[in-house]
Amino acid sequence: MASARKSRGESLLLRYLVLGTWALVCLLPILWFLSIGFRPRTEVITPQPIFWPTFSLDAWHLLMSDWPIAMYLRNSVIAVAGSVVIDLILAIPAAYALARYDFKGREDIGFYILSTRMMAPAIVAVPIFFLFKTLGLLDSVWALMLIYAAINLSLVTWIIRSYMLDIPKELEDAARTDGASDLRILWEIIIPACLPGIITAAVIAAIFAINEFLFTLLIASTANAYTMSVALANFTGGSDGIIYNAIALVSFIAFVPILILVILIQKHLSRGLTMGAVKG
Amino acid sequence: MASIHLQNIVKRYGGFVGVQNMSLEIADEEFLVLLGPSGCGKTTTMRMIAGLEVPTDGKIMIGGEVMNDVDARDRDVAMVFQGYALYPNMSIYENIRFPLRMRGVPASEHDARIRQAAEMVELGAYLDRKPAALSGGQRQRAALARAVVRQPQVFLMDEPLSNLDAKLRQSMRVQIKHMQRQLKVTTVYVTHDQIEAMTLADRIVIMNKGAIQQVGTPDEIYSDPANTFVAGFIGSPPMNLIEGTAQGGRFNAPGVSAPCPSNVQGKVTLGIRPEDCRIGGDNVQGLVYGVEPTGDTTYLTVLAGTKKIEVKAARDYRSDIDVSIGITFDPARLYFFGQDGERIRGVA
Repeated sequence: MASARKSRGESLLLRYLVLGTWALVCLLPILWFLSIGFRPRTEVITPQPIFWPTFSLDAWHLLMSDWPIAMYLRNSVIAVAGSVVIDLILAIPAAYALARYDFKGREDIGFYILSTRMMAPAIVAVPIFFLFKTLGLLDSVWALMLIYAAINLSLVTWIIRSYMLDIPKELEDAARTDGASDLRILWEIIIPACLPGIITAAVIAAIFAINEFLFTLLIASTANAYTMSVALANFTGGSDGIIYNAIALVSFIAFVPILILVILIQKHLSRGLTMGAVKG
Repeated sequence: MASIHLQNIVKRYGGFVGVQNMSLEIADEEFLVLLGPSGCGKTTTMRMIAGLEVPTDGKIMIGGEVMNDVDARDRDVAMVFQGYALYPNMSIYENIRFPLRMRGVPASEHDARIRQAAEMVELGAYLDRKPAALSGGQRQRAALARAVVRQPQVFLMDEPLSNLDAKLRQSMRVQIKHMQRQLKVTTVYVTHDQIEAMTLADRIVIMNKGAIQQVGTPDEIYSDPANTFVAGFIGSPPMNLIEGTAQGGRFNAPGVSAPCPSNVQGKVTLGIRPEDCRIGGDNVQGLVYGVEPTGDTTYLTVLAGTKKIEVKAARDYRSDIDVSIGITFDPARLYFFGQDGERIRGVA
């Protein structure tokens, strides 16, 4: 009895040890970045390891005084959030049509939509630049919003469609005999039933959008439209050299909105991801 | 409340015929059961009445109005599905309320009607739960309440009990029948379970391969089958069907000899129900193949030639296998079917 209790206690200890180690491995890059971000610049680039770094707000002061970091963050949030909203407004009805309506060329249209994702972005970089120039949208957050939305639309449509395919047809039949119109069925039955899929798609689209670099660099030329991803590049060159502690701090600031988003919707997200995993 | 008329209904899927030229009259307040093996077209027929499938040809009328071009949501028809089809994101209360909202029933009436419907299926205590928190039987009752709350002209039920265990099925059966009698709503019920059909129906429609085989009351279907399909489908165990030759008022098959009407000639099939066979006598000369006591009765299988014949014996009947045995048929309960499977009627 005593030994059984002891071994259970030991196995519990072992479990926490393993999980704790794993958590440390996962968190290390983040903690590492934080520690770099709050070190003086000289200490960051020293070749010898420093076990007890000096705490310094140098990078923070640099960001706050010389760079409109709040503006970059605002641009990122507006462009990303806006693009996700556009994606969902367009993708949900499209996914529903592709999943449920029987029309000629349905599979081909579905594949065509997905195939837009297979193109290397660099191929369309120049046409996109001229397109937005003609539209007078260069150096604008709204342009970024549209571009992010366009890049992710196919993926979002496909993820949501695959969830909609899994909703039993009986549910819609029931709603129809209960007197609901197609739009009502979509709004009251389908969307709530595939909410985990919609949330998963939205988070994936947000992550892709916040990391987007090429088109952002192309469209944005001033703080009007610079986002966090492009702002990072500002610290890698110029007369001051590479400012590692500022880069680390900007990266961390860029990471915080996604972290908050994921924590808020964690329950739906993990369910959504595993559901997708089972489907394959 | 309404009657339903199906006029020469055809449903084709490409080259496959789901329902062929089906005509049926369902009276007001009638409880009609569509019975048949899976794939026989019974569910397709029901879905056409609901408006979820469009017939390729023919006319569907509910309450005297042609419904072919009327959308499912505008037909005053409530359907209960095999998989319950409860809306998973809504509480039971909201599930039952959904058809009221969709049909523009004044909000002031909702609560009273929802509670009344829930009481009818004894679900009053579970209204605030989500469907996932209910057992199979409770979910089925919630689906029934959602159909009842609208007070529709027609109930359609598509194998509503097939996902429940045997005991629950029996109690739900009684509940459905009681409810239908109480509400006096025309009901079409699809099942492949003959016990459900026999116990629930005012009339049964037996279907096979998209065509009606026979329409009749449970008694008619049981004691007056129109063909070998109906005879073999209804009854548990089903009717013995013995192929043989009739000549000069006598039916003969290996190990079997029985009187037959004089108009029965040539290759025919003799049908006899297990309960119309008695042990002893000489209509069958065979060997005991197996004995199955079930408690209230004992089923005996006799091997005559290569044919196995089921006999319902006394509850305490016991025998070893391979013992010689004779069986007598009740001469008034013999059925004869022609080579096409159709019943040969006429002078007895």
